[in-house]
Amino acid sequence: MLFTLVTPEKKIITEMEVDEILAPGSKGQLDILPGHSPLVTTLATGILKYKQKGQSKYNPISLSWGYLEVTPQGVSVLAETAETPEELEKERAEEALARAQIKLKEGLTVGDIMKYQRKKQRAQSRLELIKSYSKN
Amino acid sequence: MSLKEIRGRIASVKNTQQITKAMKMVSAAKLRRAQDNIINLRPYAKGVLGLIADIAATHRVNHPLLHLKTNPQKILVVVITSDRGLCGSFNASVSKYVENYYKENKDKYEQLDFLYVGRKGFDYLKNRGFPKPVDVILNLAREISYTLAANVAERLMTAFTSGGYDEVRFVYNEFKSAISQNRETETLLPIDMSQSSLINQNEQKFSKDLIFEPSPEEIVEDLLHKHFAVQVYRIMCESVAGEHAARMTAMENATNNAVEMVNNLTLKYNKLRQAAITTELMEISSGAEALKG
Repeated sequence: MLFTLVTPEKKIITEMEVDEILAPGSKGQLDILPGHSPLVTTLATGILKYKQKGQSKYNPISLSWGYLEVTPQGVSVLAETAETPEELEKERAEEALARAQIKLKEGLTVGDIMKYQRKKQRAQSRLELIKSYSKN
Repeated sequence: MSLKEIRGRIASVKNTQQITKAMKMVSAAKLRRAQDNIINLRPYAKGVLGLIADIAATHRVNHPLLHLKTNPQKILVVVITSDRGLCGSFNASVSKYVENYYKENKDKYEQLDFLYVGRKGFDYLKNRGFPKPVDVILNLAREISYTLAANVAERLMTAFTSGGYDEVRFVYNEFKSAISQNRETETLLPIDMSQSSLINQNEQKFSKDLIFEPSPEEIVEDLLHKHFAVQVYRIMCESVAGEHAARMTAMENATNNAVEMVNNLTLKYNKLRQAAITTELMEISSGAEALKG
């Protein structure tokens, strides 16, 4: 199964052979194995994990909001942002989370609430990834 | 001009030449980065279009964002220029076009508004009887990012869907190559899908039993927003790349002109110097002649 992950700013993964993908679907966690039926779905902000062919370790990536498409050829993910644990900085994620929480308390317009809710989720998923990665 | 003055001129022209040369190099480096942005965006842009195409292949895609209006009355024009000058006719071509466009069309439409990205276009047009801008966005070249483009796109989208505008048009410099940029106008909202050839090509790729989660309608809604954001980002990237390319060419020309000027001045300097020496020699020899006599 070929796995491709792109964001508007760069191509993160290009046609990598994988055995399994765990993705944060907007309607719940998705587990995609080779031979999955064709599917188009939206992804929530969260952590996607993939297992490279022949390996037992899951590689995590923090995603925010995107699409996942399963075709007979493989899986492609279009995400707004995507980071590997190496790229993330704990301090920055914590700051972003704090900022979003303050903004949310101030009670803004509906559009702003949605925007900061998204920012908060993104920061949370990044922090979660940093934590789980440093444990290993 | 005295010899001393010419010496001063040569020194100052040489200084200018150094500066323009440095600016050219900086622009060349920035241009490379801006070009990378455009190239990196392509797979994503293609992915979004491909997904829309896949859905369109199995479902009738019908969405308010796709409804083309036959007689648009309320227009928003987004004018994209750079913040800084010294880049040849890059900004002038866009500004002049918009000025003429406004003159010709202001009576035709019920409402004609402008949004500026970049200081130069705004500075040029604000004193020429243009209506108050909807918004001015600065510092594009330094902070160009998808997040910024997505924010702008979202604002335009809200303005469009809430009935504020019938059409959103962009005027910008398209990046053709390092030596040529083209002024381009494009209507991004409503989205005209007939233009993208992808839609028809991919029809046979899929079996009909594609699973959608959530419903195809909801996914299309999201996707069209994404598509628009990607287009806005693309245009911004093109404009930034074009700006650096234009500046690079302008600075290259300036450097060449400076070299030519230094050559001319040096020639003049040498001629004057020789003339001075000749006069001096003549004075000495005629003095010696006079003493003999």
